[in-house]
Amino acid sequence: MFQFDFLSLLFVGLILLGVIPNIFYTLGYLPHIKRKTHFIIHYVAFVASMIGVVLANNSIVFLFFWEIMSLTSWQLILTEANRKKSTLAAAKFYFFMTHFGFVFLLLFFLIVSGGNFELGFSQMNEIASAFAYPTLLFFFLVLGFLSKAGAVPLHVWLPYAHPEAPSPVSALMSGLMIKMALYGFFRFLFEVLYPWDVEWGILILVIGAISSLVGVLYALSEHDIKALLANHSIENIGIILIGFGMGMVFDSLHLYTLSSFSFIAALFHIFNHMSFKSLLFMGAGSVLHQTRTKNMERYGALIKSMPITAWTFLLAAISISALPPTNGFLSEWMIFQSLLGSQTIDNVSLKLAIPFAIFALALTSGLAIACFVKAYGITFLGLHRSENAKHAKEVNSLMQFGMILMSLVVISLMLFTPFYIYYFDKAIFSLGHVSIYKDIFTTNIFNLHSVANNGGVVSPLLLLGLLLGIVTILVIVYKVLNVKVRMHRTWACGYKTASNTQYSSTGFAGPIRKFFSWLYKPDEVITKNHIGDHKTKFSSANYEMHVTPLFEKSLYQGTTKIANMISYWVYRLSHFEKTRYAAMVFNLLLTVLFSYRVFSGDFSWATLILEITVMIISIKILIIGETR
Amino acid sequence: MIYYAFSILLILLIAPLLLGFIKSFKMFLLYKTPSSIFQPYRNFIKLFSKEMVISQESSNITRIAPFLVLSPLLIVVLFLPPIVGDAFYVRFIDAFTITGLLALSTFFLMMIGLDSASSFGGLGSSREAFISAIAEPAMILNIFSISMMAGDLGIAKASVNLALTFPAAHMASFIFAGISFFILLLTETGRIPVDNPETHLELTMVHEAMILDLSGFYLALIEIAASIKYVIFSSLFASLFMPFGLELNPFLATIVFVLKLVLIAVVVSLVEVNMAKLRLFKVPNLLGVAIVFAFLSLITFYVLGA
Repeated sequence: MFQFDFLSLLFVGLILLGVIPNIFYTLGYLPHIKRKTHFIIHYVAFVASMIGVVLANNSIVFLFFWEIMSLTSWQLILTEANRKKSTLAAAKFYFFMTHFGFVFLLLFFLIVSGGNFELGFSQMNEIASAFAYPTLLFFFLVLGFLSKAGAVPLHVWLPYAHPEAPSPVSALMSGLMIKMALYGFFRFLFEVLYPWDVEWGILILVIGAISSLVGVLYALSEHDIKALLANHSIENIGIILIGFGMGMVFDSLHLYTLSSFSFIAALFHIFNHMSFKSLLFMGAGSVLHQTRTKNMERYGALIKSMPITAWTFLLAAISISALPPTNGFLSEWMIFQSLLGSQTIDNVSLKLAIPFAIFALALTSGLAIACFVKAYGITFLGLHRSENAKHAKEVNSLMQFGMILMSLVVISLMLFTPFYIYYFDKAIFSLGHVSIYKDIFTTNIFNLHSVANNGGVVSPLLLLGLLLGIVTILVIVYKVLNVKVRMHRTWACGYKTASNTQYSSTGFAGPIRKFFSWLYKPDEVITKNHIGDHKTKFSSANYEMHVTPLFEKSLYQGTTKIANMISYWVYRLSHFEKTRYAAMVFNLLLTVLFSYRVFSGDFSWATLILEITVMIISIKILIIGETR
Repeated sequence: MIYYAFSILLILLIAPLLLGFIKSFKMFLLYKTPSSIFQPYRNFIKLFSKEMVISQESSNITRIAPFLVLSPLLIVVLFLPPIVGDAFYVRFIDAFTITGLLALSTFFLMMIGLDSASSFGGLGSSREAFISAIAEPAMILNIFSISMMAGDLGIAKASVNLALTFPAAHMASFIFAGISFFILLLTETGRIPVDNPETHLELTMVHEAMILDLSGFYLALIEIAASIKYVIFSSLFASLFMPFGLELNPFLATIVFVLKLVLIAVVVSLVEVNMAKLRLFKVPNLLGVAIVFAFLSLITFYVLGA
């Protein structure tokens, strides 16, 4: 029923690391929640069900906890609903999408468990390998788990659902719940569907590359701080999938050392993303709680009134932007190195495709820096942009403690990299892959070696030490010079320094939005109060911009349109006269007769064309009839 | 080890000189009376002794960020390729770490821009974020291309490999990477087609806009950082794309290295004199060229066979 192997225990560790700081934060947050009992019951059940998911060892237990996890998180989104339309819509969307994925999981388990839902995972491999279409099973996994993880194109629900939950729950959902989907993906690919086709790895790689770019680009266009962070979850899931897909590609090409390296990189990024994304959501939650608004345009200068929140948020922002020497940098470095290991691949066309993934990852990290400069600078720096921000105070000590604890997790992932990698290596090894801990830390535990040919080396402690050392020297120089300091207001060309002349978050992302306008297609509304009949003079102007994600516009709304069309035709059919029903039966009969001849092998183009003509005429005359 | 210390010292000391040289050479080309090439040193000394005015709207970020702008760049200087044959060098630092350190410096620079509550700062940060985001993939792709040609992902080791055994079979990808890197040099160090370091006109400035509200010691730190960023890029260009002179004796090798830097400075100032600054939304086209060349370089390398 339950199993306690290394991968499961690793993810239990992940959950504990994510939940323990979160509990303190939640205790601090609790007084502001109206339905306390409802919240606590679902919070506890949510955490317990996640642990259940990673420990489950047969289909029925797994699916049970999976469903509990989905339902409790759905209820948690609704905690602060108060009949707010956006929350209800988001919860409905989330409920639909999570069950959309569940259907595919159910199909997957029905096939691989051979009808016996109490079969252990390790016994499923035989049934799966006897199954004629393993790619179908793979697609079930992709649809089932990656829709929960929020990979493109099944990600549209994520930026709606995660921000609507209370902030500690957003932290849990983004930090942990989507990792549970990745855990399932890992587990069943390794235990049930092994060995893999090379195309599967490439598909995951492509999904990862697209997810990372789409996530960061839509994050840049957001000015709702929690939606921005939720979009970054999509980006980071993409990065993890790049590492994972690369590992699958290497494995199917029998490059086992590189494949283990990529998997370790992906696991490492899972841990890192959990740490900094939880911290960011906690920080965003504190800000939201003090300012009562999610709109970044109304923040500003919060670093002065909320120092703890601001500095922990800065740590997380540096880490998620993959800047050295933080943990986010280390795992992205590992993923880069595994991509560069592709030079040993023999297949030239595959080899030529990898630089595009490198390009996507590099552009993503560049844009992520821009995005977090925006998020941090607009929220915490400058002058306060509204009354809400003016009266913000530091949050209570429990919430502060939660954030500090989580930043300690971030720092520990940076400082104790060898310790964590040792366990990732153990987990990969327990799944039957090569152990490469000795190759990563060859001589000492300070240098992280890439296992690629002539690979690079990074030494987080060296970088951190150098950074601190050089800053100290510069500060000493500063102290020795004994510089006189005078405070004065910012020069604003003779005008008063005012908060409304600062850059807004919409303005900050302006150049990037304009450059990617083919993707964003923003709806822009400019209204001006013209003075008299002057075309160029106006007393006030207003610029509004809204970005609807392309995927939502094309994929989801397109699906809705097609479903509407089909249901309209079904509706038309059900209101036909009785004679037409008879005609339909006749046509159906004709179809069966004709197609039987085709399938039985008695096929020629001439008869096919003749039959199609007959069918069309009979449908036109008997069913459609004369158009009114 | 003594050569290592010497080369770091040389690079740090020559950094302001190169910027001074570009400025006076440009003035010479424009028939103006050239300023002294030692002017940057005088500026720094003046700034160090001046009183510092800090904006009262700004927060502690402004007080710590200048240090964090300069120090990652100083770390990169420690990892640069050697300029003398058998000198010690840090062989293992790869392109991703170096771009990461450069990005860390830019990150805090952009923070300074947003911290002083002035619209100029935000303007500069926004533009810098835009340009550096698009420059990042080009940078990573083309350094990787060159380090694959050299057969080592560590940049310093790659340059030594190139100097010892030049991969003549991969001349095409070498040249593509060189073109791409030169565009990046102009972009990242804020030279004319992308940014004009000499004006304070709000239509054109990028780097200067972010640091308008700094003065005295902090301004000196940022200006030093700008000069060091320039010398990092030009010495990378000199070591990776002009891989010769390492085998000479230390004294000659140093002279050859300095001549290479001067040559790059001459080319940069010729570009600056002959080109107009691009509009902000034309800059991605230039960077697109850099990205395409970096791709071409990698692809020709792969197709011709490693």
